[in-house]
Amino acid sequence: MDKKKLALSAMAVLATVSLAACSSNKSSSSSSGTNASVKLASAYNNTKPTDKSATNNSTLKVAEPNDSPFQGISDPVLSTNSEDADVFSPSGSDSLWKVDKNYKIIDGGLANQKINRKAKTVTITLRSDAKWSNGSKVTAKDIEYPYEVIANPKTTSQQYSADFNHIKGMAAYHAGKAKTISGITFPDGEKGRTAVLHLDKVTPAMQYSGNSFIWSTVEPYEYIKNVPIAKLASSSQVRKNPIFTGPYKLDKVVEGESTTWSPNKYYYGKKAQIKHISINVVSSNNIDKAIQSKKYDFTVPASVMHGTDYKQLKNLKNYKMIGQPALSYDYFGFNVGHYDTKTQKNVMDKNSKMANKSLRQAMMYALNLDAVTKKFGNGITWRANTLIPPIFTKYYDASAKGFPLNIKKANKLLTDAGYKKRNGSKWRSDPNGKKLTIYFGAMTGTSAQAAEYQDYLQQWHKIGLNVQFTGGKTMEMNSFYSTLQQPKQSKIDVYAAAWGLSSEPTPTQLYGEDATYNMGHFVSKKNTQLINNMNNDKAWNESYRTKAFKEWQEYMNDQAAVAPGSFSYNWGPVNKRVKGFDVGPDNNEFWSSLSLTSSSLE
Amino acid sequence: MWKTILRRILIMIPEVIILSILVFLLAKAMPGDPFTGSINPKADPQQIHHLMKINGLYDPWYQQYWHWVVHLFHGNLGNSYQYQEPVTRLISGRAANTLWLALFTMILTYAFALPMGVYAGRHEGKLPDTIIRFYTYVTYCIPFFVILVLGIWIFGYVFGWFPTTGSISSSASGWLSTIGSRFYHILLPGILGALFGTVNIVQYLRSEVIDAKSSDYVRTARSKGVPSKDIYRHHIFRNSLLPIAAFAGYSITGLLNGSIFTETVFSYPGMGLLFVNSISYRDYTVITALVLIYGILNLLGTLLSDIILSIVDPRIRIE
Repeated sequence: MDKKKLALSAMAVLATVSLAACSSNKSSSSSSGTNASVKLASAYNNTKPTDKSATNNSTLKVAEPNDSPFQGISDPVLSTNSEDADVFSPSGSDSLWKVDKNYKIIDGGLANQKINRKAKTVTITLRSDAKWSNGSKVTAKDIEYPYEVIANPKTTSQQYSADFNHIKGMAAYHAGKAKTISGITFPDGEKGRTAVLHLDKVTPAMQYSGNSFIWSTVEPYEYIKNVPIAKLASSSQVRKNPIFTGPYKLDKVVEGESTTWSPNKYYYGKKAQIKHISINVVSSNNIDKAIQSKKYDFTVPASVMHGTDYKQLKNLKNYKMIGQPALSYDYFGFNVGHYDTKTQKNVMDKNSKMANKSLRQAMMYALNLDAVTKKFGNGITWRANTLIPPIFTKYYDASAKGFPLNIKKANKLLTDAGYKKRNGSKWRSDPNGKKLTIYFGAMTGTSAQAAEYQDYLQQWHKIGLNVQFTGGKTMEMNSFYSTLQQPKQSKIDVYAAAWGLSSEPTPTQLYGEDATYNMGHFVSKKNTQLINNMNNDKAWNESYRTKAFKEWQEYMNDQAAVAPGSFSYNWGPVNKRVKGFDVGPDNNEFWSSLSLTSSSLE
Repeated sequence: MWKTILRRILIMIPEVIILSILVFLLAKAMPGDPFTGSINPKADPQQIHHLMKINGLYDPWYQQYWHWVVHLFHGNLGNSYQYQEPVTRLISGRAANTLWLALFTMILTYAFALPMGVYAGRHEGKLPDTIIRFYTYVTYCIPFFVILVLGIWIFGYVFGWFPTTGSISSSASGWLSTIGSRFYHILLPGILGALFGTVNIVQYLRSEVIDAKSSDYVRTARSKGVPSKDIYRHHIFRNSLLPIAAFAGYSITGLLNGSIFTETVFSYPGMGLLFVNSISYRDYTVITALVLIYGILNLLGTLLSDIILSIVDPRIRIE
């Protein structure tokens, strides 16, 4: 969904040619299975001893694979893309929280949080030694200022979440009716260490980082207070000389190209070991060559690398491939209703073309996703079996079957539901005997994606369904989403898209009754009920909440209105001179855990 | 002469106005807006509407156009939606990068191509001519991005002679090392661009030289006993430059176009990528600003070409 994923056709051509031009094609040998056929570790366990002089004197070189310059907004409140987050990540991204492996907020980070269910307050207390990289203290006002920036009527930030309205006074401030946010108070003053959020409800989701109620970073209020909020994103305080709370401080940023870092002596946590870090944007056309010729120690862990890159790099002797399941999934959506702009709710339309559950299930069983992901994913992409990705180890339903290839079952489902071939036609007609043409919406992407789409069409044709591309071809990303986001549309019946998730996976904003991102408009009482269960009063109990997530996954798979497509690894190559590399969610000291075992790349 | 130039500039004004309206309309006619597709599940769609509203994107086009023109006369091209900074600052940063690279490439291209063209023409049909023609055809028919990818692979990665990303090293400080580092970064893309961009100039020049060789004034010069070297240097070369001069104006103003391929492969932040990205992001302010700049540059380019032509060839001076 990120616009950066939009591959321009010129770029796509470039990418394929570059790979063909200089690749030594070794055949991949991945075995099949419902899970990832390649098992990547999320940490590189380098047992060699740290080389002190290397760690002090040489530079850790990091690559950010991307085809265009990064935008250069260091402030997570204002930035809108992962490249900026990546190149500024040694700063610690000003995160408030320390989290465990389930992204649950635990004590010991920049701040601790306490949820008071009775009083409906959240108290955020900064640690006493919290400092900005210019030496000034992190204050309670710094906790509150992100809300002001996000909700300011003149802001350029896109981060305002509807759930912020549960903070008292937030809506009034957002509408410009109040000068301050009344629901955020400072018991020991703005310069103190504590901020209290007063809400009209508290929910279990608030225990997890990445939830949409509580913002998870701080802003250096004293440092940026004189910059008008509308101009913050273009100010030098954000672009050229930003300050941070994390293990590294920014030495220099070359706009769109690179950032360089050195240890922040004011950091409260684990002391940074490597003295110099540089992060460079590297075109994804030659990232493989760059790694093969040992130009970089690793690629930024959060960036997306593709299956073709994996195929190129996996056999390198001096690099270890490290990864974990991505916070995202590809899915198939079916258009089963519309969005009522008056009531601001999604409405399911019983007479819509795709309203029949059997038809949707049959279409999913007809797809050979195992083979497709194996062929194009090179082992790092695999068929998804549910709508919660496996990175959420607790909530992910490993036992879900999803939709493995089963043409026989697909045919039977269709025939039983009355979708039959009539009058000698090659295609099935609908139960009323009317001609049935289903339109498939897909975004223009790489040549591999184009081949995948062709395979989907072929499979659907196999079960006698006349499925065609909307408009006869794949759609440019902007037209794809502007079509889908219309309140009512009949151009796309089934579509392939993807969601990136935050680290709190409640799907209300994606599949809730009033969610505008519920682009297929699937709504049912049971679905609303199941989604609400994830955050009702009982869900403060972990096992209840886990059960609620699993029930919802099971229900969604049965309904097949939104069906899982594929999961993939978020991975990258790591040079064997790097020690302490661990991208697991519970490693809160990623950058300061790193050290080097030799002064040049292995 | 001056009158002509002034008249041409006056005619450019309505042309630019029409161009700007067209660009403005076409940009808005594309499906989507700066915020489509940037859907972050946690962000409120209402906020997107709010942003559309405060940016005036729901206003009728003529109102938007009017605001834009008013701001334009205040030297304000608006803010980029994607980069969240003033368009003027964004473009000037990229334009500087592109200009250095393009200027360097152009100088090298002429430095390679002019001698090759004259030499090939002078030795028409002989071995050097064949070699040069073969070279230009080969370079012409290989897609440029293949050359770039091969070039960066061989000289950047395998031999490690040249930097492979960006326009400047992150460790450069002080003006001398800054300029040095910048130059080092444009060296490889510049040389590749020049080596593989010679075909037009060489072919034009070659055929002009061949024509000129048999023309009357050359024969006269020869019969006067002017040494062959001088004939080529003073008579043939100058006359053969005419067709090249004809597109010199465009080449100069085209310096700012940038190259998507070079910029992608070398991760070099320039105008070409900025333009393409701004279109795919529907970054209206950047699109309109860039198209307007390119439009004006093209108009100036034709004017410049005419002026250069009239300097080189007094016979076609325009009155």
